[in-house]
Amino acid sequence: MDEFDEILEDFLVEAFEMLEQLDNDLIELESSPDDLDLLNRIFRVAHTIKGSSSFLNFDVLTHLTHHMEDVLNKARKGELTITPEIMDVVLESTDKMKALLEHIRETGSDQGAVDVAPTVSRLEAILGGGSPAEAAAPAQEPAPSAQPEPEAEPEEEEKDLSEMSEEEIEAEIERLLKQRQEEDRKRREAKKKAQEAGETVEESGEKDISEMSEEEVEAEIERLLKERQEEDRKRREAKKKAQQQAAATQPAEQKPAPASQPAASTPKPAAQPARNTPKPAAKERKSTVEQTIRVDVKRLDDLMNLIGELVLGKNRLLKIYDDVEERYEGEQFLEELNQVVSSISLVTTDLQIAVMKTRMLPIGKVFNKFPRMVRDLARELHKEIELVISGEETELDKSIVEEIGDPLVHIIRNSCDHGIEPPEERVAAGKPPKGTVQLKAYNEGNHIIIEIVDDGRGMDPDVLKMKAVEKGVISEKEADQMSDKEAFMLIFKPGFSTAAKVTNVSGRGVGMDVVKSNIEKLNGIIEIESEKGKGTTLKLKIPLTLAIIQSLLVSVQEEYYAVPLASVLETVRITPDEIQSVEGRSVLRLRDEVLPLVHLADLFDVERVFSMGEHAYVVIIGLAESKLGLIVDSLVGQEEIVIKSLGEYLKGIEGIAGATIRGDGRVTLIVDVGALMDMAKSVKSGMQNLDAADVKTEKTKPSDYNILIVDDSKTDRTIMRKSLEPLGVTITEATNGVEALNILKDGSTIFDAALVDIEMPRMDGYTLASEIRKFNKFKQMPLIAVTSRTNRSDRLRGVEVGMTEYITKPYTQEYLMNVVARNINLNVE
Amino acid sequence: MSTQLEQVLKKQQEQQKTPLENEIEEVIQLVGFMVGDEEFAVPILDIQEIIKPIEYTRVPKTPDYVLGVFNLRGSVLPLIDLRMKFGLSKSKENEDTRYMVIKYNDDIAGFVIDRLTQAMRIPERSIDPAPETIHDEQNLIYGVGKQEDKLVSILNVEALLKRDF
Repeated sequence: MDEFDEILEDFLVEAFEMLEQLDNDLIELESSPDDLDLLNRIFRVAHTIKGSSSFLNFDVLTHLTHHMEDVLNKARKGELTITPEIMDVVLESTDKMKALLEHIRETGSDQGAVDVAPTVSRLEAILGGGSPAEAAAPAQEPAPSAQPEPEAEPEEEEKDLSEMSEEEIEAEIERLLKQRQEEDRKRREAKKKAQEAGETVEESGEKDISEMSEEEVEAEIERLLKERQEEDRKRREAKKKAQQQAAATQPAEQKPAPASQPAASTPKPAAQPARNTPKPAAKERKSTVEQTIRVDVKRLDDLMNLIGELVLGKNRLLKIYDDVEERYEGEQFLEELNQVVSSISLVTTDLQIAVMKTRMLPIGKVFNKFPRMVRDLARELHKEIELVISGEETELDKSIVEEIGDPLVHIIRNSCDHGIEPPEERVAAGKPPKGTVQLKAYNEGNHIIIEIVDDGRGMDPDVLKMKAVEKGVISEKEADQMSDKEAFMLIFKPGFSTAAKVTNVSGRGVGMDVVKSNIEKLNGIIEIESEKGKGTTLKLKIPLTLAIIQSLLVSVQEEYYAVPLASVLETVRITPDEIQSVEGRSVLRLRDEVLPLVHLADLFDVERVFSMGEHAYVVIIGLAESKLGLIVDSLVGQEEIVIKSLGEYLKGIEGIAGATIRGDGRVTLIVDVGALMDMAKSVKSGMQNLDAADVKTEKTKPSDYNILIVDDSKTDRTIMRKSLEPLGVTITEATNGVEALNILKDGSTIFDAALVDIEMPRMDGYTLASEIRKFNKFKQMPLIAVTSRTNRSDRLRGVEVGMTEYITKPYTQEYLMNVVARNINLNVE
Repeated sequence: MSTQLEQVLKKQQEQQKTPLENEIEEVIQLVGFMVGDEEFAVPILDIQEIIKPIEYTRVPKTPDYVLGVFNLRGSVLPLIDLRMKFGLSKSKENEDTRYMVIKYNDDIAGFVIDRLTQAMRIPERSIDPAPETIHDEQNLIYGVGKQEDKLVSILNVEALLKRDF
């Protein structure tokens, strides 16, 4: 049973892959019905699926594919010309085949899922009505019937037997046997039909293989082989003859060939490509099969997660190296450490890229279904549309390939339905009757760009605005202010459709809304360009991968946030007076654009501890079609981050897409650019509140000043306290660095200065100072070292870690008092 | 004779064993801790680990008692202040403060507690349902465990880990 399951699985995977190719080939076939190569390929797909499904006992599927195969076989032999009507039926049966296969995948059986009877009868009708010659064929004598058959299809892999290896001969025998079986079956069917029609059919000399004994089969093979050898010989002779006589008179037995290939003039060119082309193709296929393995996607996902952890580790290592470098500059081991760190980070990056690549799929996987879709649409809408695909080999992460399908379907439908005009209208406008929709994919940096270009009627911004106002999507005032580009973006608003009539295809105003939300989900950006009468171009810009992304780290007060770099358009430094206000909203005039501005602190309710300096930074983010300026206090830098979920408890927090662990082990939140855009609409500017906060902290009397004394010795603390008493300031004491840091971080008192001893248990003065300086809000706080260490190097170290002053013990009371007063700007009378 | 004796002995053993087994099954092992002035307890099996306070990152747009998220060996976990969850003032971190990482099914979070007290075993029968007078909309209290000299509120872990905003 297990073995069967395995075979079944392989069969399904293979079948679906072949079907994908089949659809495209069929569409291509419609435009060039004489392409025998194509026909053969299509025939082989149907044939293979039929073979495997009969082996696996899928009777319904076998029944269907068998009839398909017959029709295709006929077309291949040139007995049938593929008309659009026939194509419809063939495509229909392909669809049924897909449905059946899907049913098999789900239930393991093909029974009762799809009713194939109507399709089969239509296929039969084609078979019957398409060419009456079919009925006559079985009545012929065995020899002539066998002879024209192989020659009617010179493109088939007709290899010279004498040149074949044993395996090849084996395969050839098998092929021939199959052919025979098919012929027999066909003949039987034809016979049945003929009998029904009341005709008596002469018993043909061909024996039914299924009824043969082993010896008979052997004999039959022998016979067939001989026949083949004979033919080959004849053909070789013919070839020679043809070569000798440049202007060839066609040998008698070659006659059927031109029937299927009207273009062929001499037997030589007809036979040669047939012999040469299939061989290398077969070889190529063989080698690729050996070099690929199928891997469960989950394993790749696990691998990706592990790499994610490794990237975090690498970031951490880099950070530690930076710290160590500062502290032990010039030491020997630093160089070694540097080498290790850089080689690890290099390997990690390569590893990450390698794993990312294994997850990549060509976008052709998605594109493949569109030729069929466009063809169906064109027929349904009575338009002539050609779909031109390029860049289908461009690769994308698997998860994105899966997500991108739906939006593309909607966009292409839209282009066909609304964009491309009916032929009459096109001709009237001086365009060719056949419209073109181009689907292009290409890489641009860390992004992939997908362009959908149509040469249809284009969009009229004024009409769009009018419609939007009519439908209440926007107000008239908004419409007046709208640029053309913004007007095009209206098509993404929910409930907006400009189709004059709602068709089966589009016009229900749902699709484009889906496009926008799906593209946003992928952190993608949409751009539209359109010119009335000329056509429309839709550009989707999508990041290559989702799990590990480049981000811009920004800080707001004490908090850090990561903004996906894919959404960052640019950053600018501004002064506060560049921020203008329009209707209570902050805006920034940047070149010829007016951008809405919002402070990240307002969006995330960040407590404002210190005020904005002379400069602020604006990160301009763009998503899908909108733009927003985000004010932050500073830009920290670019970092590669691994997206982690916030878990069940905190999921779906507005404006937060996830979290990442930074090099120092801290968690940094990743902003959800899409949500920020929405949130920004309801946020009032908080710029004004800042002044009020400043007033509150203004000092009026000496006791408003807070000084922190950090020393482990009680005596020293008392001396300091006594020295400062005359100033009248408020004093808080801490016995070591850890305690001091906690008091500072607690934030209930804001200290104006700190007196720090150097030698303390748990955390010394140097460490404390460097810890304090890590906080933006303490960057300006005076730190006064009070110590008995008088060494020059000690003083130097003090300055390095951020001490403002360095007082050596013993000191006079006045000296200490003056230093403190000077540092907190307190006037002493 | 000897078989009779054996049977009697066996019977005696069985009688002794059964009540003992029952007793073991009924006992719940709990970890006690202080939040404010009150002692609470959580079944020991629901606790993944207890760690000393580490740095956490505030998450905006959450209630006060959600302090933020912290990094526990590579996983990002939410951190909840139990004092604030119980309507007390924000806890001041000191050297007794601990983060208790509680896991129930797939839900996991860290909780800030003021101080650990003791591990305890309380027989099921000495756990009473929470008094009805306690105003407890969220059903946070599973029951009240009686010890020799005091009462312990046993927390309902499932409710504790349920997001209520």
